[in-house]
Amino acid sequence: MTEPFGIIGVFETPEAVKDAAAQLNRLGFRAVEAYTPYPVEGIGALIHPGRKLFLPLLMFAGAILGACWGFFIQYWDEAIDYPLNVGGRPYNSWPAFVVGAFEFTVLVAVAAGLFGLLAASRLPRLYHPIFNAAEFERASRDRFVLCVEARDPSFEPTMIRRVFERYGAESIVEVPA
Amino acid sequence: MSLPGGLSLEDPIVKPGVSLRSLSVEVSDRVLRPKAPRWWWIGFGCSLTLVVTLLVAVAWLFVNGIGIWGVNIPVAWGLAIAEYVWWIALASGGTIISALFFLTRSPWRSATNRIAETMLLSAAACAGLMPILHLGRPGLFYWLFPYANVMGVWPQVRSPLWWDFICLLCYILMSAMYYYAGLLPDLATVRDLAPTRGKQILYGVLALGWRGSVRDWRNQQTVYAIMSAIMAPMVISVHSVVGLDFAGGMTLGWHDTQFPPYFFFGAVISGTALVLMLTIALRHGYHLEDVLTGYHINALAKIVLVGSIMLAYAYVWEDFGPLYGSDVAEKAQLSFRLFGFYAASYWVKIVLNAVVPQLLWFPAVRRNEPLLFLICGGIIVGMWYERFVIVVPSLGRDYTPSYWGLYFPTAWEWAILAGSIGLFLTLFFVLLRLVPIVSMSEVREIIEKRSRNEG
Repeated sequence: MTEPFGIIGVFETPEAVKDAAAQLNRLGFRAVEAYTPYPVEGIGALIHPGRKLFLPLLMFAGAILGACWGFFIQYWDEAIDYPLNVGGRPYNSWPAFVVGAFEFTVLVAVAAGLFGLLAASRLPRLYHPIFNAAEFERASRDRFVLCVEARDPSFEPTMIRRVFERYGAESIVEVPA
Repeated sequence: MSLPGGLSLEDPIVKPGVSLRSLSVEVSDRVLRPKAPRWWWIGFGCSLTLVVTLLVAVAWLFVNGIGIWGVNIPVAWGLAIAEYVWWIALASGGTIISALFFLTRSPWRSATNRIAETMLLSAAACAGLMPILHLGRPGLFYWLFPYANVMGVWPQVRSPLWWDFICLLCYILMSAMYYYAGLLPDLATVRDLAPTRGKQILYGVLALGWRGSVRDWRNQQTVYAIMSAIMAPMVISVHSVVGLDFAGGMTLGWHDTQFPPYFFFGAVISGTALVLMLTIALRHGYHLEDVLTGYHINALAKIVLVGSIMLAYAYVWEDFGPLYGSDVAEKAQLSFRLFGFYAASYWVKIVLNAVVPQLLWFPAVRRNEPLLFLICGGIIVGMWYERFVIVVPSLGRDYTPSYWGLYFPTAWEWAILAGSIGLFLTLFFVLLRLVPIVSMSEVREIIEKRSRNEG
């Protein structure tokens, strides 16, 4: 028999899935992932702990880049490549460039956010082994799915099944790879 | 227990019968059901007819130039510009609801933000069309892009008109990205409920493989919160810059420092009024009374009232300036606006935007949906008149009497007004069939909080 992708337990409440995740955490499982219909508070600390600063920093970097780009393109236009004398005002009339620079700043920051979100979540990825489980589709509706992946060094199906059962999993399914 | 705003428990944010399951099934069903309801077909058919009107009017305009319109010197800006401002204000109202009230964590925003954003994308398309039609040579609009070209010329970036172009361009792009970032989890729900192969593939591709893992949610929540914090000042900048288009000119009645906030106030009232109308219509048309409740309608009606008060304040200062100052031309301009040829438009805008909405002080009015629908429809008409009053009488009474004139819109301009309304409704109807109109992932959190409070 080939190695499965993992084992999923389907839970009815967010509390149950949180308790089961905490127990798996105590038992030393590390390749655990929860799939929920909405962001469940407090589960992040159990499954992927630590501060995640990648996306905020990426958006901030996008904002800086956009500000520089937006200002430079206007400076290049008005002061260097196509200087027009408007009532004797300086060619580099920076207060007039602030609006344009602001718009470029926020545009690049938001674009960095959307594409960063996709990259950080490894999307688009239309196929994923977890979709093989028929029970999984309810994770986008009304069920909370906890999955221990087979790549976990301490992967041990019977123990995982026992934990899932103890916390009241509705069904426990092995997901083929 | 009483809810904020003195509402009874009969108007909860989500009706008690709604569960996680019924919410997903009911909302997804509105896009997955094989047959659209009859009102959808009637509405879509009528809108499409108006789009044909728009196509004919635009084709005739492109063949003949803007000579087919009533605009001329001195009134060189006509309905197209007034309607540009009108549409962009309606669109901005959508972002105000979805971004500003995300930051305040207002619970009623969760079920209405998708309606607001769908409205905003449809309205922004109409807004973007108007200035292009108004250009004498619409084919050359791309000259506004700041790019190195073989002609060796650049746009004049010190002009508010160029700022406006950049604002609108960035606004449409950013709104689409903000929309998608919030829509992604809901597309996955629709994908998992889709009954036919074709719809499974369509929504499977649109959902990009969203799985709702802890990591997915954390990334989405982080990005969405920061995007909201960016979109809120962004939308203020967009409509303020529209105000600067006017304030930057020396024309009487335009050259006023209060224009940027004045325009923003107009966006608050008109956008919210349109969202309220759509919410009332969809609530009954799609039978979503359980998630779009009296709570939402009451909250939106209060925002409309606040918008009306802010706008009335701006109206007072707009007319107080010339009276307090000593400029004879300003006074003549004011008296022309109030009592001259276009006086009816002025008084219509005062009554519909500043006087009638004061009815919303009464809770009974905020509960009366047909009356609310009428008041909000009146506001949208009133806002159209406000834009007309800003654009036309100001240009028609300049400093020198030799430069005075009147403007009469032609049938082609009215056709473009009707056509742009048709374009807005067509886009809205199409999106209504494609995307879940209530943000399911956000309403689920409200259901979750409710059950935690009960249990």
